[in-house]
Amino acid sequence: MAKPLKPSGSSSSDLFGPDDPELMEILQTAVLSGDEPIERLPIATTVHSTVDTASRKRSRSFSPKLSSSSLPGATQAKDSDSVDDDTAVYGASRFGQFGEYMRRKRAKLQIQNENLDINDDAEGKSRIFQGLSIYINGFTTPSVQDLRQLIVKHGGVFQPYLDKKSLVPFRTHILTCSLTAAKIRDFKHMKVARPEWLVESAAAGTLLPWRDYIFRPGGRVEASQGISTQRPLFELPPLLPKPTAGAAKEAPLVDTSTQDLNVPRTPAGQQDDFVTQQMPPTASTSRLPLEISPSRVLYMTDPATYEEAARIPGYAANKSNPLAERVMANPDWRAAHTSAAPDFIEGFYKNSRLHHLSTWKAELKNLVAQAQEHVEGGEAAVLPPGREPIISASDSIWGHGGEVAADGEEDVSMKGAELVMQTRSKGKGKERAVDPEKVIMHCDFDCFFVSAGLISRPHLRGKPVVVCHSQGAQGGAASTSEIASSSYEARVFGIKNGMSLQQARKLCPGIMTIPYEFETYRQISLQFYTILMRHADDLQAVSVDEALIEVTSSVARRREEYSRLPVSEAAPKDPAQDLADLIRFQVKEATGCEVSIGIAENIQLARIATRRAKPAGTFHLVAADVQKVLEPLDIDDLHGFGYSTRQKAKEKLGATNLGELLKKSKGALCDALGKGTGETLYKAMRGIDERRLESDKPRKSVSCDINYGIRFENNEQAEAFIFQMAEEVSRRLNNVDMRGRSLTLKIMKRDPSAPVEPPKFMGHGICETFNKQTPLSNPQGRATSDNKDIGEHAWRLLKSWNFDPKELRGIGIQIQKLESTSGGDHYDPGQAKLPFQLLDTPTKARKGTAEADITDDHPEALNIDVEPPSQEAVVLVDTAGPINDGSNFRNSPSLDLPSFSQVDKEVFDALPADLRKELELEYQRRSHSPVPPEPSPVVPDARPKILVKGVNVKRITQQLAPNNRTMLSPKKNMLFTKRVGTSGMRTTDAELRKLDIDPEVFALLPIELQREQLITARHLKSGGLLSKRKIIKDGTRQTRSPSFPYRKKPPPQAKHPQPPLLKQQGKEKGERLYFTETDDVQRVIESWVEGFQEYPPNQRDVDYFSKFLVQSVDSADSGMEKTIAVMKWWLVLLRRDWTIWEHETSDVDKAKRLTSEGIGKAWWRAFREVKGKVDVAARKRFGGSLSLK
Amino acid sequence: MTSNASLTFNQTVKGITEFIEVAIHSILYVRQIYPADLFIRRKKYDTPVFQSRHPALNEYISGAVKAVGEELGNVNKVVVVIKDKDQVALERFIFSMRNMIEIESYNKDTSVQDAMSSITLSQYFRSFLVKLNMIESQLGLLELHDDASFAIVLELKDDMSPQSFSQDPPPWIPADRQHTTSGASDDAQLHLVRAVDTGIISLSLAVQESEEKLQKMKDLDGELDPKGKGKERAV
Repeated sequence: MAKPLKPSGSSSSDLFGPDDPELMEILQTAVLSGDEPIERLPIATTVHSTVDTASRKRSRSFSPKLSSSSLPGATQAKDSDSVDDDTAVYGASRFGQFGEYMRRKRAKLQIQNENLDINDDAEGKSRIFQGLSIYINGFTTPSVQDLRQLIVKHGGVFQPYLDKKSLVPFRTHILTCSLTAAKIRDFKHMKVARPEWLVESAAAGTLLPWRDYIFRPGGRVEASQGISTQRPLFELPPLLPKPTAGAAKEAPLVDTSTQDLNVPRTPAGQQDDFVTQQMPPTASTSRLPLEISPSRVLYMTDPATYEEAARIPGYAANKSNPLAERVMANPDWRAAHTSAAPDFIEGFYKNSRLHHLSTWKAELKNLVAQAQEHVEGGEAAVLPPGREPIISASDSIWGHGGEVAADGEEDVSMKGAELVMQTRSKGKGKERAVDPEKVIMHCDFDCFFVSAGLISRPHLRGKPVVVCHSQGAQGGAASTSEIASSSYEARVFGIKNGMSLQQARKLCPGIMTIPYEFETYRQISLQFYTILMRHADDLQAVSVDEALIEVTSSVARRREEYSRLPVSEAAPKDPAQDLADLIRFQVKEATGCEVSIGIAENIQLARIATRRAKPAGTFHLVAADVQKVLEPLDIDDLHGFGYSTRQKAKEKLGATNLGELLKKSKGALCDALGKGTGETLYKAMRGIDERRLESDKPRKSVSCDINYGIRFENNEQAEAFIFQMAEEVSRRLNNVDMRGRSLTLKIMKRDPSAPVEPPKFMGHGICETFNKQTPLSNPQGRATSDNKDIGEHAWRLLKSWNFDPKELRGIGIQIQKLESTSGGDHYDPGQAKLPFQLLDTPTKARKGTAEADITDDHPEALNIDVEPPSQEAVVLVDTAGPINDGSNFRNSPSLDLPSFSQVDKEVFDALPADLRKELELEYQRRSHSPVPPEPSPVVPDARPKILVKGVNVKRITQQLAPNNRTMLSPKKNMLFTKRVGTSGMRTTDAELRKLDIDPEVFALLPIELQREQLITARHLKSGGLLSKRKIIKDGTRQTRSPSFPYRKKPPPQAKHPQPPLLKQQGKEKGERLYFTETDDVQRVIESWVEGFQEYPPNQRDVDYFSKFLVQSVDSADSGMEKTIAVMKWWLVLLRRDWTIWEHETSDVDKAKRLTSEGIGKAWWRAFREVKGKVDVAARKRFGGSLSLK
Repeated sequence: MTSNASLTFNQTVKGITEFIEVAIHSILYVRQIYPADLFIRRKKYDTPVFQSRHPALNEYISGAVKAVGEELGNVNKVVVVIKDKDQVALERFIFSMRNMIEIESYNKDTSVQDAMSSITLSQYFRSFLVKLNMIESQLGLLELHDDASFAIVLELKDDMSPQSFSQDPPPWIPADRQHTTSGASDDAQLHLVRAVDTGIISLSLAVQESEEKLQKMKDLDGELDPKGKGKERAV
């Protein structure tokens, strides 16, 4: 460690002047205060005198007392040695040498410190602060001077100035009692501690871990400043026993009945190690016992946000878990224990307490609902049959308990008999408006898991016991296992549920751990509920160990009974409390566990009352006492209000105490907390709670969340895991007979600033959460519970984020929009059911009349074999009767609306308003969803049916279909005969009917529309978006399968330019010859030229020929090529005979007309004429003129 | 490109642009725009062709052809203009295209019925190139020496604007009218090299000698041999 300072390191502060070389030399050999003493000793003797010099020059970096302390007597030597150095320190500063001034000042201060040190007795001096370099900021208790003395006395270095750049390697800590906001920011990355650290360390004679004294901003230091009227913001309960608190540790004193709201009193000595306002240790006055509200501090082992993390004492969010890191590096371990393991999910759920709890809660709710159903159904049985298995099951295990419960109290069975009656009356009573006498009981086990575990371990009673996964020495002191439940004895030590075992061990080293016993919990819970059911009018299962019951009628009956008793006996009795005691007794008998019961007129108050009742008691909060009880409470003591509400209230209203908030107006509350919350709070504070017991709340969603042990290495693992989770979700959906239409994927991804392995072993640590929702459906578009569907949807969602699988820390799949499996089986969701049946004979008869109508109107229609349905539809509209076209129905059980563009606007407008609206909605819906929502039935039996207020939709769709037919003239009907040939869509009428397409209408459509319709119809028939794509490709690429001869869409047709024909009279009469090929045309021209050797060419021939050539040029470039070739050949032919007159343009006189000159010139003129015409044509395309070279 | 199945639209486009690229190299060689030793002899469409070895030139050509391919649909003509030192167009090598059918985007990779097969098309291209290599017999020697340059001009169909104008910077700039075919005077002489109808896109290659060139040649001829023609001189 004794590293010599490099000269380059000396430019540490801008304030310093340039270093002189001799100082550099000294620095090379100098020793730092943080260096280890072993190495320091020998060096110190040799360089001792120079150290001082160095220390004066570089005051902050060196600790002069080190040498002096290790070598007594060295100080004098140093003093005499450093005379010339003294001038460097004490000499006058030159003007403009502020840096020098500061340097000297520091040096002087260090010398002062040194003197301080010397003045103190050097003998047996404590070295506990050795290596510390401390800067003190702001007001502190004790004062800076005292602290300075303390630091120096114990071997530390006191830094009077904080130089940002230079200090970093040297200064170790900052002490303060209060900081300004700006400084809090500045010191964010430094170790800021409270002065108590040093004071207590000095008192303890050893250096205590500074982390226990971390300065927490936000806590004002009223206490230290002598103002202690206000409650501090942060009241942190003890985590570590204070070493100095050797003085009289108070015996744990738990007075259950009197204790205010069940807050375990903490031994005073343990208090406040985290509290910023701690009294100075020098003050010997005993501390006032502070009321600590346990809810402020969050106890959990694996927070997901920094906000949460900040509320957890001792949780270093940025600290990585070294054990986890080590273990994760082993691929085998990874494969076996993380989410990559094949049976991970199974194992996870086997051990997940929350999973069991939530599953049971769901079961209990189901049982309760079932029981109530039976009751409301008027079953005469003493106990609803749904409950019988519970009892028998519990009896077999809790044999004696059950018996005791049965015969130990005659009342019980009687009650049971009465229950049915009461409950029945209650069935009606549910509709009763408000019962002023309503009695709600909140029944809650006392530390359920622990007491359940203690049944089989009586020897542990009365000892501090916690329930957690980690057992015995397993995991050792570093266990991050979360404590699920702790006994009251353990709570005395400050142990809270949610703490890690590690923390608990610190608080109480002798803590006992017991494992989870899920089977036991289940049995007890069932027993508990069975008993409650006997007394309850209504029951809401809150959790396995907690339930709300309405006992209004039971209490009323008791009251009646009491009133019948002689006055002397009955007078003081509270029937509700009696009933509660009875329940408590029964449960105790049956299960061996204590229950606390709070009684009040509504849920909120009942919960508050339970707190008073705990442990193992009952408390009836009567209306008169409500205000008195509520006033001292805090917002988050109320059920339904948490930390965030409290924070808001604190910020905006300046108070969290209910008593104070009571004075606020409703408006103020609503403004500060939001309308809903504000109103609820306003009422809650006045003891009003209008909530009802939710005994039969329907299930809204089914989900599966796993955020423990999620460590993937690649996407394959993630995908496999998602599919496993999908199986789990699917299993749960099937358990409750539900299917879902919506899927939400919740992803926790490691926060970029969080360590790869969070402090909680295999936990998720600080995370960013992402949610995405998608509609869920099977390929048929129905709600689904199929694991493959769920898995695919979820995986697609996950992929869409494109997360690095290594960063995933938690995955949750939730299915919403549940539909009952049994209910929705036969219908397509979103599709209603057609109410009518197929009409056979009546329709035909009607049809006959319809035909007759047509015949009257359009006599021509008789020629048509098949009745055009669209026309018929018009007739039907006229008669406005619900007439069905039987034949169409037979062929087309399922039907579809035509696309909106196809809808006949006139007919559409003529529809009744409600129908129109419905259709509009339907079209709107379709335009929103990419997948056509009409699932085509895979099984032909499953006919999708539409219920549109009893109206025949088929008829409407027909009307909405293009109504061309009515406009048809008989002549156009002839098209039918040509249909197959002309359309190019090779299909048959049968096939069209199968696809619900009317062949007639189809035939009249333009080819493009035919194709479109056919594809759509086929697509719908085969179902699914994916197959739609495939079909298009099928049509173009794949070979046709014989069973689907129509699937192929005709490929585009090439278009070749039509070459003009050169027609010629054949040799025989009537025969016509057609020439298109260049050779042929050339031959024709040759015979023409040769045939007219003796005569000038006939002008008609020339015109005809030029027309052909021009057409040829116009038709295509290849035609132009031909023209050029022909022209060239013509040129050759002409040159052969009349070359000399080629450039002769003069007119020929009549006389010479038949001479060779005249004929030649005529030919050339004809050629030029044709050339000119061809050039004009060619110029249009290329410009210029053709070259015949 | 070597199957008997009829062409698809995309194949045709690809084939044509590929051919244009090959043809441009050949034109530059045949018309001696660059020294002959810049070119290397290669085989394409079963015929010897000459390809530039200069990377910058190659890049320019392939870039231009790529831009042509992007515009194809709208393109009427692609013109390789041979200019003299005064930027006067002397010869225009015109690739004229005509789309015969409209094809929906999903059908672009579908074989077009009754269209030409790719084998036939490449045979046509061979014939194009063979004729192109012989073009000197028709056009005579361009004795421009180092003064020659060339440009690639795109002529779109009427009322069309280049799609790639949205790019920044757009690959195309407005052309000098004299370089375009519409700027050709009536006396310009057009030699049609070859034309092909694929049934999808018709392509033809023509060479147009501008009036200016003809005038120049005439002047030259007048100096040397008032009656002789260029090609006869060359012999």
